Amino acid sequence: MEVIFKIVRQQPKGLPKLQSYRLEVEGRNTILECLNRIKWEIDGSLAFRKNCRNTICGSCTMRINGRSALACKENVGSEISRFPQVNSTNLPEITIAPLGNFPVIKDLVTEMKSFWDNLEAIDPYVSTQGRNIPEREFLQTPKERSQLEASGNCILCGACYSECNAREVNPDFVGPHALAKAQRMVKDSRDSQKEERLDRYKQGIEGVWGCTRCYMCNEVCPMEVQPMDRIGEIKQEILARNNHGASRPIRHRKVLVDLVKAGGWVDERKFGIQVVGNYFRDLQGLMSLAPLGLRMIAKGKFPLTFEASEGTQEVRSLIESVKESYEG
Amino acid sequence: MPSPTLQYAYFPGCVAQGACRELYLSTEAITRALNIQLIELKKAACCGSGTYKEDSQLLEDTVNARNIALAESLNLPLLTHCSTCQGVIGHVDERLKEAKEKEPAYFQQVNGFLKQEGCSPYRGSTEIKHLLWVLVGDYGLEALAERVTQSLTGLNCAAFYGCYLLRGQKTLPHDDPLNPESMENIFRTLGANPVYYRGRTQCCGWPISSYATKESFSLAGRHLMEAIAAGADCLVTPCPLCHLNLDSRQPEIEKVIGGKLGIPVLHLPQLVGLALGIKPEELGLDKHIVPVGSLLSKLRAS
Repeated sequence: MEVIFKIVRQQPKGLPKLQSYRLEVEGRNTILECLNRIKWEIDGSLAFRKNCRNTICGSCTMRINGRSALACKENVGSEISRFPQVNSTNLPEITIAPLGNFPVIKDLVTEMKSFWDNLEAIDPYVSTQGRNIPEREFLQTPKERSQLEASGNCILCGACYSECNAREVNPDFVGPHALAKAQRMVKDSRDSQKEERLDRYKQGIEGVWGCTRCYMCNEVCPMEVQPMDRIGEIKQEILARNNHGASRPIRHRKVLVDLVKAGGWVDERKFGIQVVGNYFRDLQGLMSLAPLGLRMIAKGKFPLTFEASEGTQEVRSLIESVKESYEG
Repeated sequence: MPSPTLQYAYFPGCVAQGACRELYLSTEAITRALNIQLIELKKAACCGSGTYKEDSQLLEDTVNARNIALAESLNLPLLTHCSTCQGVIGHVDERLKEAKEKEPAYFQQVNGFLKQEGCSPYRGSTEIKHLLWVLVGDYGLEALAERVTQSLTGLNCAAFYGCYLLRGQKTLPHDDPLNPESMENIFRTLGANPVYYRGRTQCCGWPISSYATKESFSLAGRHLMEAIAAGADCLVTPCPLCHLNLDSRQPEIEKVIGGKLGIPVLHLPQLVGLALGIKPEELGLDKHIVPVGSLLSKLRAS
């Protein structure tokens, strides 16, 4: 079949422009095979990264029909059926663009420096003490090993980083790839720096609290690392070790559970005062909510009353027994 | 009209009973008009909005197994009208149905807690459905079209789906999470024009708004600006948490991005309600931070 490939092209420091290529292809052809043919048969100036052709090296990640994916993994047939779009002469179209959240060097080749720097920032190695060679091999139970399974699959392709909503607005956020690797270190039974790591990963919004839980990393990960779930596992370790006073992001989580125990539903008025106002201790925080409160009152939007769930007592008791089962 | 009457166990969620009371009002108004019967789960509890799971998977699963079991006791599907509630409870339901087969020990553990507290056990016998899916799937777009008395002709609507609705669950009944159309299909059915823009499937920034306000508001701001640039008269969302960030915080968002916005944000049932001829006050449209007057006069003029 004939397919139009609409490719976003860009010269160094130039503006992006669309260029279309028409190719006779088959449904089973991968996007990478098509790009190779464009480069070899039509336009040798097209730039893109590639290597293994087999979803192992993670080089050929790009935005295919709007989302980041490996060009060697996706094929023409599934793209056309999943994202049906046709041009003016009724030929199917596939749109290809460079990754998001990375500056473009040329065409589909991006500058990945921040990606590697952010990976380095979480100290992605089993700690020195763990690396000392023991007399016999390191022993790890299958259960301990299984906690590293998902993050161990990461091929550092950059798809998650490219779609990460938090990265778009927070240049300090290390990104889902780095935090998935961080989970791998936190859960590694050989690592001796677990507590220090958890203290670092909970700082500000560069670590786990920077994640907006947009699920984009999970959605596009080609290797089922599911970075957002891994970030969640680090958060579990942090929440187990810290109380309300530790920071506002931690208080946000603790107060939500407190309020459900108190009323079944979340009383949003108390949520604001306790999380942002730190129970009236943080006056600046409280004042920051004042304009919101006032404008909500003016519109009759402010919840003046709160009705607890009729199941409050049951839920409180349920939450307490569940938490007791692992907190002791 | 589909018959017999559609019936659901209604999970109102926290926000519709609090800061977005207008969602509660408008869901009530349109389901009454469409003869969809809701039985409110008065004993239900907050789904956790993804936060329980940051404490433990077991906590998220157990509290929501109880919520689902309340609907199961009525032999009804559970209805949500919040993307986050849907993604969380819907995923717990998926996970526990799978655990029932593959991880019976975990399934028993969850039900053990429910039994200990005198709650009905979770059986995995019902479904979790967002109002959007009920309109598109159960009620049907053709039936909905027949009930439209005030076509929304000329109104340009930009959907804002919410992350959990699209990506919280493993499988979706009507949409491709990367290329959804349910909201846009509703707009067309009501006579309005869908406006497409990248932000419609992205994050509103709400989850980090209590502590990373600048980042949260700039995320919201870029979506709002993009929707305005694409010609939208309003945003329409099936998620009250998105609504809180996009509407209630719009004055702060304007300060962060340094530009004027002033674009109304409607809850899904409010838009449907307008097309069904329900009065704006009954839909709580007077309770918005960004006034919806411009939108109502555009509708009156057309």
